[in-house]
Amino acid sequence: MTAIAESGVRTWTLAKQVRGSAASMGDGVAMRAKRLGVWRDITWSDYADNVSLVGHALLGLGIEPGDRVAIHSENRPEWLFTDLGTIAVRGITVGLYPTNPSAEVEYLLADSGSRILIAEDQEQVDKALAVESRCPALEHIVFLESRGVASIDHPKLMSWEDFLARGAAHREAFPDALDRRAAETQPDDVVTLVYTSGTTGPPKGAMLTNANVEFASNVIVDGGGLYEPPPNTGDVILSYLPLCHVAERAVTTWTNAVSGAVVHFAESIDTVVANLREVQPTLFFAVPRIWEKLKAAIEVRMAAASRIKRLNYGIWMKVGNGIAQSMLANGGRHTAWSRIRYGVGYVFLYRAMRDRIGLRKVRAAASAAAPIAPEVLYFFFMMGVPIHELYGMTENSAVATSNRRGRIKLGTVGEPHPGVEILLDEQTGEILTRHPGSFAGYWNRPDATADTLDAEGWLHTGDVGQWVEGTHLKIVDRIKDIIITAGGKNISPSELENAIKSSPFIREAIVIGDQRPYLVALIGIEEDTVGQWAKAKRIPYTTYRDLSEREEVLRLVQGIIAKVNEGTARVENIRKFRMITKALDHEDGDLTATQKVKRSALMVTFGPLIDDMYDGTDRLAGGDQSDVVVISRVEN
Amino acid sequence: MVELSHESTVISLDGISLSFGGTRAVHDVSFYVNIGELFAVIGPNGAGKTSIFNCISGVYRPQKGSITFLGEELIGQSPEYIARIGVARMFQNIELFDNLTVVDNLMLGRTQHLAYSVLSALVYSPKTRRQETANREVVEGLIDFLDLEAYRAFPVGMLPYGAKKRVEFGRALAMDPKLLLLDEPVAGMNVEETEDMARFILDVRAEMGISMILVEHDMGLVMDLADRILVLDFGERIALGTPAEVQGDPKVIRAYLGEDLSETTKELT
Repeated sequence: MTAIAESGVRTWTLAKQVRGSAASMGDGVAMRAKRLGVWRDITWSDYADNVSLVGHALLGLGIEPGDRVAIHSENRPEWLFTDLGTIAVRGITVGLYPTNPSAEVEYLLADSGSRILIAEDQEQVDKALAVESRCPALEHIVFLESRGVASIDHPKLMSWEDFLARGAAHREAFPDALDRRAAETQPDDVVTLVYTSGTTGPPKGAMLTNANVEFASNVIVDGGGLYEPPPNTGDVILSYLPLCHVAERAVTTWTNAVSGAVVHFAESIDTVVANLREVQPTLFFAVPRIWEKLKAAIEVRMAAASRIKRLNYGIWMKVGNGIAQSMLANGGRHTAWSRIRYGVGYVFLYRAMRDRIGLRKVRAAASAAAPIAPEVLYFFFMMGVPIHELYGMTENSAVATSNRRGRIKLGTVGEPHPGVEILLDEQTGEILTRHPGSFAGYWNRPDATADTLDAEGWLHTGDVGQWVEGTHLKIVDRIKDIIITAGGKNISPSELENAIKSSPFIREAIVIGDQRPYLVALIGIEEDTVGQWAKAKRIPYTTYRDLSEREEVLRLVQGIIAKVNEGTARVENIRKFRMITKALDHEDGDLTATQKVKRSALMVTFGPLIDDMYDGTDRLAGGDQSDVVVISRVEN
Repeated sequence: MVELSHESTVISLDGISLSFGGTRAVHDVSFYVNIGELFAVIGPNGAGKTSIFNCISGVYRPQKGSITFLGEELIGQSPEYIARIGVARMFQNIELFDNLTVVDNLMLGRTQHLAYSVLSALVYSPKTRRQETANREVVEGLIDFLDLEAYRAFPVGMLPYGAKKRVEFGRALAMDPKLLLLDEPVAGMNVEETEDMARFILDVRAEMGISMILVEHDMGLVMDLADRILVLDFGERIALGTPAEVQGDPKVIRAYLGEDLSETTKELT
């Protein structure tokens, strides 16, 4: 951690970092974006120049220190240009999820009081125009893609090209205006509001400062916080998770700015799989949902493969099992014997498999943002991709702990980074963190800030943790999610849910049982995999709902749950389940923008299903399958 | 009821009649389409909508009347020639090569813009390379336009129906047409796919300025999109006007709903 400069001129900012890179390696490639099917380079000079143009454009539009600039777009170079251009003029960036529906756009724009919105395309412009009259602070909407927007006549609309042209004109007229503004920058200037996903209540904007980002960035490059060995200019990153989330911001914007690793932007959300294969990143960060999907994709493909391929897969996954075990016994590092086995298996299976999913060149991979089932991590160990599980949250700039190279412990989130203090609350077991990356508070919510950040600087994470062997931290669950059964047992639902979800057939599992005599679950199937399974078994079905309620599918789910039950104590057994017969969706309010289940909302939506289970009736959604009861017999 | 065609007309049909043996498919139909206009042809099954498309694209030769496309008489010309001078058609039953990729199918749509010899292609001469690159750029532009990035390298046969329709649309657009004939572009699509296709059609008009003739059963779509509508019944023109005018026309209502309800049910089935 560098000393905080007294004079603003020396304050570290991301914008300054990129300017430095442009000076030292101007022609080097900073990022690549695919346009018309061809990857095009953007050099550090281009990057810095665009940041300066955006900065000048914002000055020209009268952005003052502390003013908010919102971005509503998928990941693309302009996202980074806007983010850093805003930081350069001491403004505050507010990221919106591309999937945010109009009502949430209104909430976020109004709550943040954003003066300028950068909207990607017609879809996002339409959302903004629908609510613009209720967002009094909003003065300009800058659109990146003109298709379908160019013909709309609205005084607040402006194209990205016009926006940059204003920047160029302003730079011409006041060449040193940006430098003068930047010189006043303070370490405690807020640079971004990261809206938390809000599984309870409306989202809150967490304020991160220059000093926060600097600390997190240092952990990334010096401490091996995300990847080990630390990222460098030879590394390749694919940026595909929403940039408004703190984790993606850390692995894209921050990692790129401080290490020079080259960022590649996925063409669109639909092409991530194809882009991953083309780009073959060396560093790969994913949330559990993505890892689960990759695993499911392999398993489903193999199930449908020819006999000889299945045989080959079976043999080498068995060998892989041995490799994973010896590696895990060795903290995640190869032993001589595991390396030999891996070398042979690489020729027969692992290389092809890793290439197929785009992980052939990965030297470091990470998972965070939600708990992941150890089974999933183990699967990737078997093919030689050690995934390091990390822990951090928006409020501590995504920095707290990580599984270090050679010291991986499956099922834990690893050890604290250097400079990070961690404490477990004696009564509740809540994890408290303290370090310079702790946020400055929630935007306009001093009450919520006081609940989270105490006077001694400890951040109350809301997660319950445990130390494993005194060094590694294990996350038990969110405090508010912990189930206390009617019998008084404390149970962590997410552990059970993840165990169920590690099956490729299950997309959602919600375990319920708070103040109830026993545990039950709501299950949502993965349409692709179950659909293929049904096809192979010649089970006809029409819709998702129909598929969910097929007797064979119920048996399948029942088998999965029974298997999970075998591995748990009796009180943790899931006695009954019901199928969720619709795909959960952000726009319907079932999921947060980060695809996390909104428990409270679901409890209401699926209340009848839950009652059906506890009332001992079988009126709904598969409950008439009497064999559901077999589950409780299995564990007896 | 005679509309005068003028400078801004892309195509005009004048007194077209077509019959097969004793069956009258089209009888004395006249209309014109302005440059940049989205013109719709509607009518019950068997009203002669597709026959008109076949007359324009040179598949059928009408016995009477004339069709003028940008000052040139089309009757008697071959379908190849008509396609070459700028009339493209999006088929209702997707006419693509199932085993070729999306890119290859779209490149095929560019065939008429390629002008190198077989020999030149064999040695992959600079001329060939230049043309292939230029055409690929156009195709990539269409892929971007129609949001087909995710399917670029997939064989068309593997695509979901809605995506296939988009490729079919792209293939017609790849020809760089001056007039586009859309034969039931949203037939068989779900609501979301229909909305997407409507969006694309509007974007084509707004951005590329291509004139279009649309034959469609989805009345909502036609009423929303079309500038003017021609209504046919038993091969004859019974109305022509803006969506509002056509909707209120008693003859149109009768053609669609029939004299009594039993007629309607028969027509629907």
